[in-house]
Amino acid sequence: MTDLAGPELGHQHERSVTPEVAPRDAFVDEVEGIVVHSRSFGRQAWDRFRRHRVAVVAALMLVVMAVAFWVGPKLSPYEFTEITIDIKQGPSLSHPFGTDPIGRDLMVRTFHGGRFSLRIAITVALLTTAIGTVIGAVSGYFGGLVDTLLSQLTNLFLIVPVIVVLLVVGIRWGASPNTVTVLLAFLLWPQIARVVRGLFLQYKEQEFVLAAKASGAGAARIMFRHIVPNTFGPIIVNTTLLVGIAIILESTLSFLGLGVQPPTPTLGNLVEEAKGAIDSQPSRVLLPGGFVLLIALCINFLGDGLRDALDPTSRRVRG
Amino acid sequence: MFAFVTRRLVTTIPLLLVATFLIYVLVSITGNPLARLATCTTCDPAAFQRIIELYELDRPIPVRYVGWVTGAVTGDLGTSTSLGAGTGDVLPILIDRAVNTAKLAVPAFLIIATLAISLGVYSAVRQYSLSDYTITGLSFLGISMPVFFFALLLQVVFGVWLRDWVDVKPFYVAGMRSGSFTEYLRSATLPVMTLVFVLTASESRFQRASMLEVIHSDYIRTAKAKGLSRRRVVFKHALRNALIPLVTIWALDFASLLGGSVVTETVFSWPGLGPALLRGISEHDLDLTMAIVLFVATLTIVFNLVADVLYGFLDPRIRYD
Repeated sequence: MTDLAGPELGHQHERSVTPEVAPRDAFVDEVEGIVVHSRSFGRQAWDRFRRHRVAVVAALMLVVMAVAFWVGPKLSPYEFTEITIDIKQGPSLSHPFGTDPIGRDLMVRTFHGGRFSLRIAITVALLTTAIGTVIGAVSGYFGGLVDTLLSQLTNLFLIVPVIVVLLVVGIRWGASPNTVTVLLAFLLWPQIARVVRGLFLQYKEQEFVLAAKASGAGAARIMFRHIVPNTFGPIIVNTTLLVGIAIILESTLSFLGLGVQPPTPTLGNLVEEAKGAIDSQPSRVLLPGGFVLLIALCINFLGDGLRDALDPTSRRVRG
Repeated sequence: MFAFVTRRLVTTIPLLLVATFLIYVLVSITGNPLARLATCTTCDPAAFQRIIELYELDRPIPVRYVGWVTGAVTGDLGTSTSLGAGTGDVLPILIDRAVNTAKLAVPAFLIIATLAISLGVYSAVRQYSLSDYTITGLSFLGISMPVFFFALLLQVVFGVWLRDWVDVKPFYVAGMRSGSFTEYLRSATLPVMTLVFVLTASESRFQRASMLEVIHSDYIRTAKAKGLSRRRVVFKHALRNALIPLVTIWALDFASLLGGSVVTETVFSWPGLGPALLRGISEHDLDLTMAIVLFVATLTIVFNLVADVLYGFLDPRIRYD
């Protein structure tokens, strides 16, 4: 899907046939008599993103879901912990997603769950990015001990079944959204760190870094003022994709009963609560689970579009 | 080659020790193994003391870990407190569970590898065609699919809807049956489908990328220019090189399949390593947990090594020194 937009040639300059009036951001090419618009990087990125139709649709759907999750419950007459006398109902007008065995409205619960899940996933992605960027930067820029530690840690994460750590810590400290967030960030940061490290290895030998060094900039300044801004594209792409990974991991953990504990609903523990009733009320499983799938799918498409937009140099052949 | 393998094995041993130590400590501090007994008012305090001595619970965790390693090296993996009759030896439980897991892992792996190659090659050869977009779209779906949701989806479709609407139940939605081959097929199909769907997605994308890279290289243009048939170029020239990077992915995926899948096996009540691990951890069954961790870690290391060695055979440009 990276290749959806097709090869991109000749879009650097937009040509216009009316040379007389030149807008502010354009200049007239005297020789050819045409107006050449100069476009900022942001404008170019936006144009590239826009052409990835699926990504645009995915972004819109994410906005719609976020609005539903945050605003939806406020419009409903029910609270997410409110117990009513309508128990185990199928979808109806008064309860669009049905109700659970103690009569709680499932649409409100699902939207609340979506809110918790999405909030956890986004926090995990941001936290992971912060940790991963700093460690990756230090590791790539200085090499040496930190670098060795990072690569050994990567090997360690490869052989320790991640699920064991998740399970053990989940059982020991699970329960609260905060511990789940920290735990997932702890598990995911090496991914970002490797990406940032690779970029740093590439950039630290370039002339602008040498120039900064020559003008007396310190290591921290070079790393975070000069190199990191160059890595924003790939970092934003990876952070976006991490939201998808985090939401799947969080819901899986909750599904196994080890993540966020009821009565706080998340999309995962709603499925967990409902799996015993899969025979009689399959919609209780399908709706919250479907939201996890939909969110992850939209985020993956969005990430793909952002890669086209922000990380154009990586537009090699890719799956 | 021999030196390479030896060096790799020697360097992974410390890694294995660190990994098992970390898990040992994590599991040991997770809960008090005597917690359940502590509520027992009619129990004999002497029995308590005997259990503490038997499991050396009064000694520091690192000391107990050394004891566990010594046992593991000599083939004694300890006793399970949660699975098996009474206090069973861990080793037979581990073997039994690993065999059950393999009953899913082996067929799943064969299907995944075949599907991933076919889909990857097909969509690379017809890049930007409708079928390429369809396959890419499907693989996005597979990558975004939470395993537990797909497993439950299969249960709903085959266990609820088919039964309610057309009154057929081709597959069992839970449990492992191995009475006859048909029974095995009926119980293994849905869990295998789950594993296949999720893993094929990422593998076929990788295969596609690898194939595209090869197809655009000079020697393929030469082969086409020589007038070779499309089939010959794709399968004889391109595919052989495009498969090489897949070896590493296969090794890792096969290792992780053989190590058991907690979610798939749990949803389908398949008595494999996954549920055993879940049970071991939630019931503080240290020896069982450690045995499974050791097994999974060893599998990963061995298969990684096999992949690297195979790589050398397949691609003579790679040298080990």
